[in-house]
Amino acid sequence: MSAEAFEAVVTTHHAEIFRYLRRVIGRGDDADDLSQETFLRAYRAYRSLPRDANVRAWLFSIATNLAKNHFRSETRRRRAYGEVRASTREAVDSAPEAVLVSRETGALVEGIVGRLPLKQRLAFTQRKIHGLDYEAIGRSLGCSAESARAHVFQALRKIRQGLDGHGLLPEESQP
Amino acid sequence: MSDKPAVCIQIKDDLLAVAMGEATPSAVRRVERHLAACAPCRREFQEYRAVDNAVTTLREDPLPSGRLAQARERLETRLADLRRRLLTYRIFPSPLGHILIARSELGISLVEYLERGTSLRASRLSHEPGVEIVGDGGELEAPSRELLEYLDGRRKHLEWPLDLRLARSDFQRTVLQATAALPYGAVIPYAGIAQEVGKAAAVRAVAQALRWNPLPIVIPCHRVIGTSGALTGYAGGKVGLKQRLLSLEGVPTTKRAGVLGITPQAMYILYPGEQEYCLPTCPSFSTHRPAPLTRFASRESAEAAGFAPCTTCRPDLHPISR
Repeated sequence: MSAEAFEAVVTTHHAEIFRYLRRVIGRGDDADDLSQETFLRAYRAYRSLPRDANVRAWLFSIATNLAKNHFRSETRRRRAYGEVRASTREAVDSAPEAVLVSRETGALVEGIVGRLPLKQRLAFTQRKIHGLDYEAIGRSLGCSAESARAHVFQALRKIRQGLDGHGLLPEESQP
Repeated sequence: MSDKPAVCIQIKDDLLAVAMGEATPSAVRRVERHLAACAPCRREFQEYRAVDNAVTTLREDPLPSGRLAQARERLETRLADLRRRLLTYRIFPSPLGHILIARSELGISLVEYLERGTSLRASRLSHEPGVEIVGDGGELEAPSRELLEYLDGRRKHLEWPLDLRLARSDFQRTVLQATAALPYGAVIPYAGIAQEVGKAAAVRAVAQALRWNPLPIVIPCHRVIGTSGALTGYAGGKVGLKQRLLSLEGVPTTKRAGVLGITPQAMYILYPGEQEYCLPTCPSFSTHRPAPLTRFASRESAEAAGFAPCTTCRPDLHPISR
């Protein structure tokens, strides 16, 4: 890959990687710093990347590793959870009345996701928000595709339990 | 302990997979059959469908306006800084021992004879302040091959873009630029380079500048010798390599009283500023003031560098025989 091609990589993927990191580590400056670090690391390494490599999955993998390192500090982890919940409340407060119910459910889901164990949160976000395949998610987490899928399914079970029926089904469909 | 029936427990992964649209056709059929008969699982299935719908709302990211643009701008600034500092390198074996070659975005910035090993740790790069070093992904393959062709005598020129930022001073850069212009098969005294850069008295400083040449071979400091014709030093004590590189270009060398030097009587000469090269016995030299002479190994090397045979001594009619 040439230096020009790397410019194209930045143009294509920066916004998505930045959003991914905001989702998994919170919306403070840390997500910005880590998205920059993702692309700086990628720049150092892209020469060795095979021609047929999946660049998007590779960038997610770098970003995921940085996120994992970031969360090794428990203090940081707690602060980030606080930030996710605070911004969730803002989103709910400012939403128009008509979309409040669905937004509220979305906000509840986001809150539950924010409290998931790290691997489940990373796997869930990559799969359900960004649509990566389990092979790629497994590589980024250092586990098999099957384990990546198990993390995602576990996250979905916890979301369902956490919602405890809230906003899940309209009244008429309840038994 | 779950009080669910065993069949519901067995099917729970498939049920979730079907709700997420990720199941195989056979699992879909199995789950559909079960759901038709099991109301609690039907409800669970519908709840997972609802979870999947709720998750789609998370795909919208309320990114404050300008935030992304600011992040991108900061990234571009840091990438530009990294591009300036980043060097890629490759180490390969050669007839002169292991060689490390490194390049930046501007060009080749280092050619180094590795003496103390075959890894990056043996290189001056590992101590170079302000640079970042990564292994090359193939872009140094061609320069490495060309360098080997040069050392094998199959190539006379290395036409690489050069990056002289590893030079230690502006003076050294100027000396290196003057040295880079020396033609294949020619030698010149340190005093000649000193004169070339406009500091005729700075002969020792020129020798020091070339001692730390970051780009040996491609900036041919091996073509710079003592005024007496002695090869003097090369890259800090590697005078044997200097002799090999000069021999490759056809420059005759001999050892006299333990000192390696060129054989001046076996080389053509060029007076500074002249356009014609001469035999060392040319009578016109008696009229010239003493000056640092360029010497050529052969008529071909002198003529390839753009010089014509002298019309007085006629080296074209009376070539030096060795």
